[in-house]
Amino acid sequence: MMDLIEQGLQPADFASTAARAVSACAGLSLREQAARLAGDGLLGVIAHDHVGGLGLPLSFAVPVVAAANAGLLGFPLMETLLLSRALRPSMRRIAEDVVSGEKLATIAWQSAVVLERQGDAVVLNGAVARAPVAAEVDYVLVRVGDSAAALIPVGAEGARIEPATGLDLTVPEHGLRLENVRISGDDLLAEGGWPALCADAGVLRAAAILGSAETCLDLAQAHASTRRQFGRALSSNQAIRHAMARHKLGLESMRHAITRALGTEAGARERDVAFLAASNHGTAISEGALQIHGGMGFTWDVPVHRHVRRIRTLQAQGDASGVMAALGQRTIAEIAPAAEAAA
Amino acid sequence: MTVIEAERPEVATSIHLSGEAYRAATRGWLHENLPPGFRSDRADFSPPRLEQSITWEAAMHRAGLTGIIWPVAYGGHGRTLREHLIANQEIGALAMPESVNSIGKELAGPIILAVGTEEQKQRFLPAILEMRDIWCQGFSEPEAGSDLAGLRTRATRVGDNWLINGQKIWTSGAYRSQRCLVLARTGTLEDRHRGLAMFAVRLDAPGVRVRTIKSIDERESFCEVFFDDVEVLQSDALGAPDEGWATAIKVLEIERATNRMYRAWRFENELRHLISAYKTDSALAKLLRDRHYAVRLGEVVVDIEVLKAHVETAVDALVCGERIGARGSLAKLHWSEAHQRFAALALELLSQALLPLGPSIKVARRRFEMIYLQARAETIYAGTTEIQLGVIADRILQLSRGK
Repeated sequence: MMDLIEQGLQPADFASTAARAVSACAGLSLREQAARLAGDGLLGVIAHDHVGGLGLPLSFAVPVVAAANAGLLGFPLMETLLLSRALRPSMRRIAEDVVSGEKLATIAWQSAVVLERQGDAVVLNGAVARAPVAAEVDYVLVRVGDSAAALIPVGAEGARIEPATGLDLTVPEHGLRLENVRISGDDLLAEGGWPALCADAGVLRAAAILGSAETCLDLAQAHASTRRQFGRALSSNQAIRHAMARHKLGLESMRHAITRALGTEAGARERDVAFLAASNHGTAISEGALQIHGGMGFTWDVPVHRHVRRIRTLQAQGDASGVMAALGQRTIAEIAPAAEAAA
Repeated sequence: MTVIEAERPEVATSIHLSGEAYRAATRGWLHENLPPGFRSDRADFSPPRLEQSITWEAAMHRAGLTGIIWPVAYGGHGRTLREHLIANQEIGALAMPESVNSIGKELAGPIILAVGTEEQKQRFLPAILEMRDIWCQGFSEPEAGSDLAGLRTRATRVGDNWLINGQKIWTSGAYRSQRCLVLARTGTLEDRHRGLAMFAVRLDAPGVRVRTIKSIDERESFCEVFFDDVEVLQSDALGAPDEGWATAIKVLEIERATNRMYRAWRFENELRHLISAYKTDSALAKLLRDRHYAVRLGEVVVDIEVLKAHVETAVDALVCGERIGARGSLAKLHWSEAHQRFAALALELLSQALLPLGPSIKVARRRFEMIYLQARAETIYAGTTEIQLGVIADRILQLSRGK
């Protein structure tokens, strides 16, 4: 990996490769998409090299995920990237299969299951949700308790995939119900594995929203420049110009927040902020783009609604509301009361 | 005031210090030397009088904390923009008074560095840093606020020198300034931006009259400045008559992205002050446990961190030699509106305190009522929100105005 970086490889170098691969995925089945993306080396960008990955830092996954969402890729790319790196050495074979596209995996982002140990095996019970395309994959990573996670084969006895719900049509979300599902202790991610995964997911989710939001602003700008009303282009109206200027501010704010979250001194706060900034501005930009399109924005054929759906889904998968409250609560907790004597 | 006696200028100016050592030295010097009464988060806060501000800011300069990136030849410290950022992070972390000479240090100075003659640089720049000359900005006029191209103050050639006639308004701090950076028209009104020239006008020159205007914060810092046949020497003209403004615009772009670089960290200092004061009152502390307020304070944290991200990426871009262009408008739009949102929230939170007010709540109320009022100006000065939105639409998005 370091060789590639020393040779001058930059995260942005992946953007055009990813954009081409995403275009090529149009109309392919999920497994065909996996093969195509793996063929371009995109599934293992951050996976360790001993499982066939490139072993690059998280910053290299950012343009890949952004390009995937700009092109509305119907594949659980963010989940695949994160899983391919998070699996422990005992699950090396699975990680290799995920990176090579032979096996498909996803992550259930909402709720957790309960674990009970029975000898070397563990038994899991409970229900999780918001697992993108879980009905078509081989494995689902579920959260266990507060901070551990387990990889569940979808065909495992006692595991049942719920019908899809949610707004995103191209990457439908499923629930997963586990009733006395027995797995090997080796299939557990260590305690603390889940929060580490979520911290990285925050940045990649922000990147995904950035990709979608940037496309929305481009679409809105193209529409406003060509659509004529009252004898002139929509974009000559100050109300439209100022709305789009605000969207541009939002877009650059999330871009800078992502850059900052990838800095060497960045911690949990910076990652949460990247996700929250993307969540706030991404919804405003995509919904604003829909508004600028007028009645056409409400049609099925204009793709803005697909981005609106995806951004709202990503916002929910990352629990933006909960993350925002937790950020506020942590900030409040960190600050000691003023010393009245000194005041 | 013990500023002069207590300072140890060698600490922060030592060229051998860099990175975190420079940060530590800066922090140490500020904590040791900032007069406690200057801190608006303390009960014994008393806004510094003009001569106290002058003494303090001159001491900051000797300690290496103003003119950080200006060349040593002109009284600066010749450090990098990254070190300027570090120093500003530490300056922001304390509830310090604003500079009374920010126009000199962040507007006039950089313009003189860009377009001034060698003689002007030698004459003006050290005087700004040493606080011998305080500057004000004579751009806005009664008929030319946001639309500077419409300004009417005239500069007429008389022999080798100039005669200035006209009126400026919203000239903050003119009553206490030695020099005014005056933008005046040498051509006709139809020339718009062409034919605008800049001058360093002495405010004690015959024909200059300054009148203060009381502002919503009860201060009288705002001024009107009248110029009646004011003679200005050619040696006080900044840049060529037709080129000065164009060059200044480029400087202003950078300044908009980098001025008062401490802003995000001062904003954070204000948030910390608000919460720490709030926690001294048990009834109010209970309110903070409400998820509603956790979410709203979380939003403030996001605003602050996003502002830091704007500043730090702008510094990175400048260090890499990139042009900053109009992107300063993005940061300005963000901080001005974010700070207003925060100030309103602070006021809302503090208004829920019941009598009798504890000492910390009193201090916080005094500070945040002032911040709330002053923040109303932030979406007006340095280009209103509407001007920034226009700049972003025109120059960054390049939206078509097609007929």
